[in-house]
Amino acid sequence: MTSRLWSNPNARAAIKTLTWFPLLFFFLENGYSTATVQGRSMQPTFNPDSNKLSPDIVLLSHWGAIGHKFQRGEVVAMTSPHDPDLTITKRIIALEGDSVRPLPQSDQKSVVYVPKGHCWVEGDERFHSRDSNAFGTVPMGLINSKVVYILWPLSRFGKVEVKPNAERVSVGSVDPMRL
Amino acid sequence: MNALRKAGYVVQAACLIHLFHQNVGELTYCMGPSMLPTFNMDGDIVAIEHLSKRYKRLSVGDVVVCISPVNPGRAVCKRILGMEGDHVCEDPTLREIERKYIDVPEGHVWLSGDNLSNSNDSRTYGPVPYGLIRGRVFARVWPDPGWIANNFLPYTSYP
Repeated sequence: MTSRLWSNPNARAAIKTLTWFPLLFFFLENGYSTATVQGRSMQPTFNPDSNKLSPDIVLLSHWGAIGHKFQRGEVVAMTSPHDPDLTITKRIIALEGDSVRPLPQSDQKSVVYVPKGHCWVEGDERFHSRDSNAFGTVPMGLINSKVVYILWPLSRFGKVEVKPNAERVSVGSVDPMRL
Repeated sequence: MNALRKAGYVVQAACLIHLFHQNVGELTYCMGPSMLPTFNMDGDIVAIEHLSKRYKRLSVGDVVVCISPVNPGRAVCKRILGMEGDHVCEDPTLREIERKYIDVPEGHVWLSGDNLSNSNDSRTYGPVPYGLIRGRVFARVWPDPGWIANNFLPYTSYP
């Protein structure tokens, strides 16, 4: 049976192609992959025109997130802390040890200290984004990739800019006495 | 040419094994005092599977490996003591009048080590997002091989 399959040139080509699929999946999980951005929480960076039918397609760098080293202002893709099946795209505003002043519409009124291993993320469209202003600081382990390029539409093809938000964040370091 | 083909086979096999480890099951090393007496203090090799996490079959009493909320480069091994919506006691080691109870938020779990007197768990860092769970520990491979069962009994009545 196997030898008959192997002697058929089409089947042989198909099997040889299939054996390269693990490498492809490895690359998509640990190298680069593409994703579509739904919703308006990252306007105007992604989906600037909500009425358009085609959502933006972006390039995710999983490779860049492997060491969990992030900068303030980078756009990342992460698992939602409230729904493990949902991946959300947000901008990192503050890192561990920093203190951040939440937006006025947040439930949290005072300055928030970002604990060790956590970060503060926000959408660029501050009125239509469910972000750290609603759910607080999030563990960095939920971040699975950096959003590095906009691929589609071609008119906005290019690098995703790093935009730190300095006026609401005071940079600090992790205090070993506080968790 | 032949060497190139051999290298190709090695790459394919390595990627296949890696995919299996990431999505089906793997062996991992679990060390520390927090899971005494279920696991040794100086380290056990345990088998974990990723399927019950993916298909949402985890329940109270399962031992899981989870990315530490305070250090994304580390994994911790804990037991689930509450799923989303459950009403859990924040710290059962306190006296009864000092205990506080909280509701586990949507999409989170409440984790605890088996050794309550020496464990960093949800009592210090609060409820943990489900997305941080890597997989369920189902067996110990070395030393003393055996299944790790969920030995929690269904709640019937308070004795």
